[in-house]
Amino acid sequence: MTLRYDQVSYSYPGTSTGVFDIALEIGRGELLAIIGASGSGKSTILKLLAGFLKPDTGPILIGGKDVGASLPEARRLGVVFQNYALFPHMRLWENIAYPLKVRGIAKQERRARAIEMLGRVGMGKRAEDYPAELSGGQQQRVALARALVFEPQGLLLDEPLSALDAGLRLEMRDEILRVQRQAGIATLLVTHDQEEALSIADKVVMMRDGRIVQIGTPRELYETPADASVAAFVGQSNLWSGSVSRDGIVTTPIGPLACDTQGRSIGTKVTVFVRPERVEPITGPVDASNPCCFAGSMSADRYLGPVRRIDMAVAGGAIRLETHLRGPITGVTIPHDAIRLLPATS
Amino acid sequence: MPFVAIAYLIFLAAPVLLLFVGSFGDVWSGTLLPSGFTWRWYQEVAGDPSFRRAFITSLKIVATTCILNILIGLPLAYAIHAGARGGVRLAARIVTLMPIAVPELVLAFGFILVFSSDALPWLGSFWLLAAGHLVLTLPYTVTALVADMDQLGLAEYEHAAATLGASFPARIWDVTLPQLHTSLLSCMLTVAALSIGEFQLSNLVSGFLSRTYPVVLLQAFYGATGFACAATLVLLGLAMIASLTSGLTARVTGRRKVGAGA
Repeated sequence: MTLRYDQVSYSYPGTSTGVFDIALEIGRGELLAIIGASGSGKSTILKLLAGFLKPDTGPILIGGKDVGASLPEARRLGVVFQNYALFPHMRLWENIAYPLKVRGIAKQERRARAIEMLGRVGMGKRAEDYPAELSGGQQQRVALARALVFEPQGLLLDEPLSALDAGLRLEMRDEILRVQRQAGIATLLVTHDQEEALSIADKVVMMRDGRIVQIGTPRELYETPADASVAAFVGQSNLWSGSVSRDGIVTTPIGPLACDTQGRSIGTKVTVFVRPERVEPITGPVDASNPCCFAGSMSADRYLGPVRRIDMAVAGGAIRLETHLRGPITGVTIPHDAIRLLPATS
Repeated sequence: MPFVAIAYLIFLAAPVLLLFVGSFGDVWSGTLLPSGFTWRWYQEVAGDPSFRRAFITSLKIVATTCILNILIGLPLAYAIHAGARGGVRLAARIVTLMPIAVPELVLAFGFILVFSSDALPWLGSFWLLAAGHLVLTLPYTVTALVADMDQLGLAEYEHAAATLGASFPARIWDVTLPQLHTSLLSCMLTVAALSIGEFQLSNLVSGFLSRTYPVVLLQAFYGATGFACAATLVLLGLAMIASLTSGLTARVTGRRKVGAGA
């Protein structure tokens, strides 16, 4: 089943906040992640699909059928909530069997199916336990099992990993992906964690102020962000405002940079964008006559294990780089193919 | 500080202790403590038709008040919890708290004025008395239930149940009510304790044949001291059973929550 938003808008009653002109499609087996700062509307998109909110305009289609007016219970979507929302008074198998119970499936069969589903998330031995006896990660697995046991038309994950600690988060990330792939189900993941989104999503949607800023593969978002806000949200970045001074040269506060100006006319204002790992460190003497070389001193040196993230103070500003060199650094080179020009921020 | 606390406890306990002693004392006149031991006063209370009727009436009123509290308080609390935000919630709270703020006497005089009219001549009836008790106890039920509903985070469980395919009645029956049952039980015991001891309104509103136990109790003090003590202790026993059970429920619930958190 595919899930589709066709120019959907919704604003919260009495306010001008909401989501506007949302056009998205999630194919069968595809995992689409929505990222954005809090208040960007990403949860609203999930609530519209789940049926907790009704869109003002535009149809929401599940398998080609408009569900905009139908109640959450009629939509057959599995939802995993941020705090899992496992029913505290029901045993684990009863929790998972609940969607089968409300569909009138006999007790014997629903118990068997619930236990089988628990096994698929590695919790087969805990069927008789209550949710309060589980750790966060285990509750997460049960919530996932419950959301999938009734063979829903889509899977909705609302910040599913935000309540877990860092180590467990990586493990559960893989687990969610594994179960999702196995079920082959269209999945919408809402998260504020861009790393989580990049690592498991097939497609990522970046939201800002209720609008989609960019849709693309994780690689597209990381390497060719649509504007400075995407570049700043997804990963680390150097962003300088500048203007085209002649073909192939952009003037910035840190000095002129050679790059492909892609035919922009002279005087065009741009945002210059460079990923820190593309900045090359210099350990010896710096050739200041080269327009892409900058001498400077380290103003911050963060040891992150595999890499160091360094801020170089240079004339006119700072350049952030990431390197696995361990020694002192005297300057940096910004290769011209590492530079991307984004629209100027107003 | 310990001295003050002990003195205060004695001050609190002394009258009850005296009542207790008095209820078993054979003769008590002019002395500090009674002399002799007897069961006679309890037998007399048990044998007195007006006390027996009042005792039964009180039990009926308590049961009716509890049932009405569930039937009206639960949906009302749910409506406030689920639907109301901001201003509506505040208004609902003010309305439900009103009977606590208004002195019971004022409420009782209001009842007398309205229900002694020719149009609504229900003063003295059982149901009007039950309605009075309901008005007095409903605020406690609604306030406690709304607080528990908010604290339990019912909205998310209900959303989850909805996405799993449960209709509204199924959600209420399978998810909401089971989580509220201890909360409801402790509300009912509070209501029972309040209703058993209620005097001011009952005294003014109840009819001759529907007087509750505390109202009849007042008559006892015109007779023998031992009889009055015994009659009072019966009421005390009833009220204590209600509040002890209520306390125990709260503790059991609390322990279960602590256990769940571990």
